[in-house]
Amino acid sequence: MGGKTDVWQGTLALMVLKTLQVIGPQHGYGLARRIEQTSGDLLELNYGTLYPALLKLEQEGYIRSRWGFSDNNRKAKFYELTKAGERQVRKAAAEWEQTTEILSRFLAPNAEA
Amino acid sequence: MNPLIAKMRALGLRLLCAPRNDGEFQAELESHLAMHTEDGVRAGLSPEEARRQALIRLGGMEQTRQAYRERRTLPWSEALLQDVRFGVRMMARNRGFTVAAIATLAIGIGATATAFTWVDAVLLQPLSGVSEPNRLVTLETVTSNGDWVPNSYLDFIDFRDRLTLFDGIAVSHVSAFSVGKEDHAERVWGELVSGNFFSVLGVKAEQGRTFLPSESGDVPGAYPVAVISDRYWRSHYGADPSVVGKTIRINQHELTIVGVAAPEFHGSIPVTSFDVWVPYMEQTVLNGVKEWMLRDRHDRNMLGIARLRPGVTFEQARLELKTLADRMAIANANVSEGMSATLMPLWKSPHGPQGLLVGPLRVLMGVCVLVLLIVCANVANLLLARATVREKEFSARLALGAGRGRIARQVLTESLLLTGCGAVLGFAMTPWMSHALRLLMPPGPMSSLVSMDTRPNLVVLGFTAGLCVAAALIAGLVPALQVSRLNLSARLNAGGRSGTAGRTRNRLRSTLVASEVALALVALVGAGLFARGFQQTLRLNPGFDPDHVLLNQFYLSTNGYNLAQRKEFCRRLEERMLAAPGVTDVAYSDGVPLGFEPSWWEELKIEGYAPRPNENMNIFRNVVSPGYLPLMHIPLVEGRNFTTQDNEHAPAVMIVNEAFVRRFFAGRNPVGKKIHGWGGWFRVVGVAKDSKYHYLGESTPAYFYVPFRQVFREDMNLAFYVRTKGDPDSALSMLRTQARAIDPNVTVFDAAPLKEFIGASLYPQKIAASLMTVLGSIAVLLAAVGLYSVMAYSVAQRTQEIGVRMALGAQPAHVLRMVVRQGLVLTVAGLVAGGALAIALGRTVASVSFTNSGMGANARLLGNGANDPLIYVAAALFLCAVAAIASYLPARRAASVDPMQALRTE
Repeated sequence: MGGKTDVWQGTLALMVLKTLQVIGPQHGYGLARRIEQTSGDLLELNYGTLYPALLKLEQEGYIRSRWGFSDNNRKAKFYELTKAGERQVRKAAAEWEQTTEILSRFLAPNAEA
Repeated sequence: MNPLIAKMRALGLRLLCAPRNDGEFQAELESHLAMHTEDGVRAGLSPEEARRQALIRLGGMEQTRQAYRERRTLPWSEALLQDVRFGVRMMARNRGFTVAAIATLAIGIGATATAFTWVDAVLLQPLSGVSEPNRLVTLETVTSNGDWVPNSYLDFIDFRDRLTLFDGIAVSHVSAFSVGKEDHAERVWGELVSGNFFSVLGVKAEQGRTFLPSESGDVPGAYPVAVISDRYWRSHYGADPSVVGKTIRINQHELTIVGVAAPEFHGSIPVTSFDVWVPYMEQTVLNGVKEWMLRDRHDRNMLGIARLRPGVTFEQARLELKTLADRMAIANANVSEGMSATLMPLWKSPHGPQGLLVGPLRVLMGVCVLVLLIVCANVANLLLARATVREKEFSARLALGAGRGRIARQVLTESLLLTGCGAVLGFAMTPWMSHALRLLMPPGPMSSLVSMDTRPNLVVLGFTAGLCVAAALIAGLVPALQVSRLNLSARLNAGGRSGTAGRTRNRLRSTLVASEVALALVALVGAGLFARGFQQTLRLNPGFDPDHVLLNQFYLSTNGYNLAQRKEFCRRLEERMLAAPGVTDVAYSDGVPLGFEPSWWEELKIEGYAPRPNENMNIFRNVVSPGYLPLMHIPLVEGRNFTTQDNEHAPAVMIVNEAFVRRFFAGRNPVGKKIHGWGGWFRVVGVAKDSKYHYLGESTPAYFYVPFRQVFREDMNLAFYVRTKGDPDSALSMLRTQARAIDPNVTVFDAAPLKEFIGASLYPQKIAASLMTVLGSIAVLLAAVGLYSVMAYSVAQRTQEIGVRMALGAQPAHVLRMVVRQGLVLTVAGLVAGGALAIALGRTVASVSFTNSGMGANARLLGNGANDPLIYVAAALFLCAVAAIASYLPARRAASVDPMQALRTE
């Protein structure tokens, strides 16, 4: 089918932040599944790449983590947005929207007409 | 959060993160997999299959862990840490190598850093404690023939009031003060300064205040105030803040201390520390200088410092000054005809110790860099040799998949470790070496003044760190490149038996050795040239006899003596000393020949001589007692000497030197001719033989003498000479006793044998010659070590070949010759290159004059020996001999090789 798409470079961070903003604190596995769901299963996420990305966001101070228990009462590490993360979501989302809007003008049919 | 700050935060966390702490992530991964597997089981897979699927989706445990690790810390910092650890282990294992490399690096870096400390203090930041030193410049008057001289007070007033591109112009005049009550007075060096001095320099007071604008006027004797230095405040007042408002007794006059200058400020002359600053207008009170002298444009004794307005370029300011000075020269044609004025950077000022230091310092810096280069070549050689030994290790690492870059980085890290250790050691040595350099300062009254902040500062630290990195690159780059070019298959195929890989490396090392020899030759030739120049100068006849003469300088003005009292004091002291046992001659004068202090001149008009336009008629002079010429053993070639009858009431007389006669009288007998100076006419009564006046290397200038009693003035110095039959020091106690007998308040300061005192004039050459000799020896030693190591190495490499040769019938002598010849070929190649370099450098340095002041402008550091072929040949031969020995030792080992033994090795 080939319908599944790899995650574009640099967009994973925004997806993670946005998802955390919407669903609140979540562990890595839950996040991964949620991102796939949100994409309508169009995205094929390599779960292994998620953890370095989460670590990077944590190092940058956009998210923080703590150990807790999952729905099935399993010990898991939960991630949540920080204040800086909230701001970063808004900012990055706005930038991304602008970028796609510009790009779509180029790609729209009969753009010149 | 600012994205940049977020990035920095992440970077900091990664740097600080401990390398190993995988447990937590392992737990997180396990929990991830468990959840994923659970989901899979719920969807109907077997637990094994579910876990397999989960692992696939994860993309492998180990890969994920690796990616996580790389993100958590900085991989390169981890690698660096590994390199450093490995490097330290290697260094610890090869102690001999490590010690040799670090010691030579420490010497090279330490010497260069020391030289730089001085360069920094003298040239780069000449004045400490001033604000915005980059806008400060020295202001000098220029005589009609281009010499730089200080300024007169009237000129200063014109400059101060009329120039617009400056934020201020200040002047200062160095002066010795006697501080305290008569019976226990202490001599303190200070500056008589214009009232705006502190505000122009931007110096704040630590206690109290500096001079007020109301104290900056031009009214003689109206500002009885003083600012003292932090040093003096601490040593004499115990840092008591209540010192402000107290009185200080200077030259028997009471002045009010208004403030203490900021601790970093030492005065307006580089590397010199003053303790008291007094408004110049107090000169009339403190030194009894007559008011008209302050109004005399001839009296050029003020060093000028100007502050440029912000945004004004040096060139604009210089032009404005020149325009004004040229106009002034026309307006005051009677005294300033043909004169002008100019600006120069502070360090260029020809006055004070730095005037003498600039030349030698440049040479010193150059030689230090030379030595450092040789050191680097040596360390590079050692590293190359090590790299050969470690070829197996490197090959193994390459074979195991290490990147070439990684291995090259390892070598560079190691060389950086070496230079780092060397730099730390060398840096620790700089204060000591700086101090040692200070011991070379000339003796004399100024020596106590010379002070340098030898505490290493940030600039020096930065410079040393830069040197360290540069040295590491120079020394490590070649070996690193070599390693990264290591050919794995060739290495494995050759199996260490053939010489293909060795040959290129040998060529490399040979080049290094040849360049070392070249650099050593340059250093050696330099040392030879300077030493010879120094010797030549020492052999120069000063034209007077300084042996057995005790010199003492009196500061009678500091005792509140007026002019008549000073003359009377001299007359009586002369009388008493002449009566003392062992004393043959006594004399006194204003200036001391070949001294460290400036000499003065007078503008003359000479009867029957028409000066060319712009000819400089300011002729150097000395004011002497009748005993001066006989005491100095300067013979008269015509006419008569001064006598006691040539006093205030007698007609003014003058004695000129032979150069004077040649220049102004075309060699004809001048006795009886009339010459105008000091506002009156003098009659020439005699001609004295030429002697040296300012520098031994000078070409004799026209010079003249006038009688002390007729010309001596309040602002002149007083040097007192005693010639004894034996050791001049024996006359010192006599001089003390007799001086006290006349006036118990007169203190004898700074008495020294004249022979030692005149050493000051040799100072620049002495320092250049002795430093060059020391550094030259180090350079030769290092080059010899380098040569030896290369020869020893190449012999070791060729053991087998030599064994074959000998098995085939070669004689030991033959082998010996072959190896030595190889060493000599390298040496000769280096000598040719070095010779060319040395000749070029010698020519450049020879043209450097070590002083740029008006006196003795012809004195050169190198004398005229710059092209002496003997030195070049001798240096080359010496290096050849050293090279022969360095290659003979390994050659002998090679010749004693037992053929069977050699063939069996490997």
